[in-house]
Amino acid sequence: MEFRYVRAGIVLGGLVALVVTGCATGQKSTMGPAETVAERQRLMKNVGANWADIQAKVKAGNPEAVAANAEAISLHAQRIPGLFPEGSLTDKSKAKPEIWQKWPEFQAAAKNLENRAGTLRDQAVAKDAAAVTTTVGTFGRDACGACHTPFRVPPPQQQPAAPRT
Amino acid sequence: MLASRLSLALLLGVIALPATAGAQAPSAAEIARGKYVFGATGGCGCHTVPNGPVNAGGRKYEGPYGTVFSTNITPDKETGIGGWTDEQIITAIRLGRRPNGERLVPVHPYTVFNGMAEEDVKAVVAFLRTVPAVKRANLPKKTLPMFESVLLPAWLTAFAPRETPPTTVPTSGTARGEYLVRAVAHCGECHTPRTMTMATDNSRFLAGDPKGPENSEIPNITPDPTTGLTWSEEEIADYLGSGNKPDGDVAGGLMGEVIEGTLAGYKDMTKADRLAIARYLKTLPPIKNKIGK
Amino acid sequence: MNRKHLRTGIGLAGLVTLALASAATGQSTTKIWTSDVVADRQRLMKLNGASWADAQAKLKAGNAEAVAANAETMALTATMIPALFPEGSLTDKSKAKPEIWQKWPEFEAAAKNMGAQAEKLRDAARTKDLVATEAVAKDFGRQACGTCHQPFRVPPPQQQTPAPPPQPQPR
Repeated sequence: MEFRYVRAGIVLGGLVALVVTGCATGQKSTMGPAETVAERQRLMKNVGANWADIQAKVKAGNPEAVAANAEAISLHAQRIPGLFPEGSLTDKSKAKPEIWQKWPEFQAAAKNLENRAGTLRDQAVAKDAAAVTTTVGTFGRDACGACHTPFRVPPPQQQPAAPRT
Repeated sequence: MLASRLSLALLLGVIALPATAGAQAPSAAEIARGKYVFGATGGCGCHTVPNGPVNAGGRKYEGPYGTVFSTNITPDKETGIGGWTDEQIITAIRLGRRPNGERLVPVHPYTVFNGMAEEDVKAVVAFLRTVPAVKRANLPKKTLPMFESVLLPAWLTAFAPRETPPTTVPTSGTARGEYLVRAVAHCGECHTPRTMTMATDNSRFLAGDPKGPENSEIPNITPDPTTGLTWSEEEIADYLGSGNKPDGDVAGGLMGEVIEGTLAGYKDMTKADRLAIARYLKTLPPIKNKIGK
Repeated sequence: MNRKHLRTGIGLAGLVTLALASAATGQSTTKIWTSDVVADRQRLMKLNGASWADAQAKLKAGNAEAVAANAETMALTATMIPALFPEGSLTDKSKAKPEIWQKWPEFEAAAKNMGAQAEKLRDAARTKDLVATEAVAKDFGRQACGTCHQPFRVPPPQQQTPAPPPQPQPR
């Protein structure tokens, strides 16, 4: 009997708390799933564009110029976990449910990207062309692939070469 | 008889006209030149409240002298300078005196603007008269007692920086750069440190001011390798033309204001002029003066 | 008696929801990436500077298309700006001006404007048209960055020497 009231209280309280939290965080933190997916896809595309830029610069013999790109990737990487909240697996998303089943691993993979990009940036800042070239050689696999392989549905159609934008 | 009388009247009229007008009407070329010089001063930004009507005055300046407000220099006849003659405007700009004999507080750096060539000042006046008239009464100043009657004249005699005008406008080389830096763009008014009397310390020209206008830290732009400006001439010229700095940062604050200007600003100077400024800066004695932490 | 149970329920729910909400949103106003919001935003701003410097260098070399990556980077960082300036974050290290919070709608608008300008630059670059991209880039510094720096940032007291890219961050 009493439990009925407790349940009612939970519902009431939950509603109030949600409203208060939504207002209190003061920004669009209550992004709907569609918005969240769009936001993270935009972020990922920009990570890709910066990565393509890095490769082009190394190819052009200008490895020291990649610092800004590497820093962009490192910064974006920090936002990744926050862009994968529970319940954001929509039709449009290429995320795999494994992300939430293995959340600590997913977080670690994002951190790995952040760290590797940070290392690349530091090497470029130090003007260590050899180190940059070496890092870039395996970056795709080690920094991006390490997450994409377990946690992303591969695109069915290959993107045209040089998606630099 | 009538015809000769008429032609006499006509002749007299034609002679009389220039006298009443004060001078020949300025040409489009002179007005354009005036706009250019106006821009090279930073667009007379002190006379414009940010986002307010251009040249309508009203900007507050506080100092040991008290509080003054910039004046309306639009051509409005009642509240601006529409009723002043060219000579009167020039006297105010160069010598800091109003038609009623009143002295300007040298927030408007007249002793520095006195370094502008007559041709340029005249052109600026011509341009000022084309700016839209705005009706806005000047706000009364509040200066210390005896400031204007005793202190200011003494200060002007003893401490004020003194620039003298060249006979013609320098058009190239270091002379051009020097002219722009010292007089027109009046860089020293912000970038030179001040002495206890609030005069600029010209022995440390452009060495920065830790407590500049609006309480900002003003950089040392002498070529000192550790505390000054080490950008290349090209970079300096680019900066003046766009606000872009070599590290990708973009000018804000008062520099941002003068680069943008009002109806014209530093950004509207030609590349040649901006390079001339840069080159002149490179010739200055490097002064060690660290501004900021 | 029933009221007591009701209250318990409400309290429980409130706590749980708050906990879930803060975990799920991941972007609270005071903690975007690290616990040092001033350091976070200075890092973001330095990235903007480095991206813009990179873009300018590319245009100088005649490469318009490559500017798109930098422009989109800046468009993205622009969306992060307001959240990095929560109330009470004006510390000694910060170069922010109190005007930010006194004129918050204007500050938000300035951040939005930066994003819009960056997207404009990105879209021009994507056409691969050098002249068109240069035309947008010509005013970009002043219009995208200057319009905010002017009212809302304390200018740096010493000019930086040419192009220091993002500094190595302690990890």
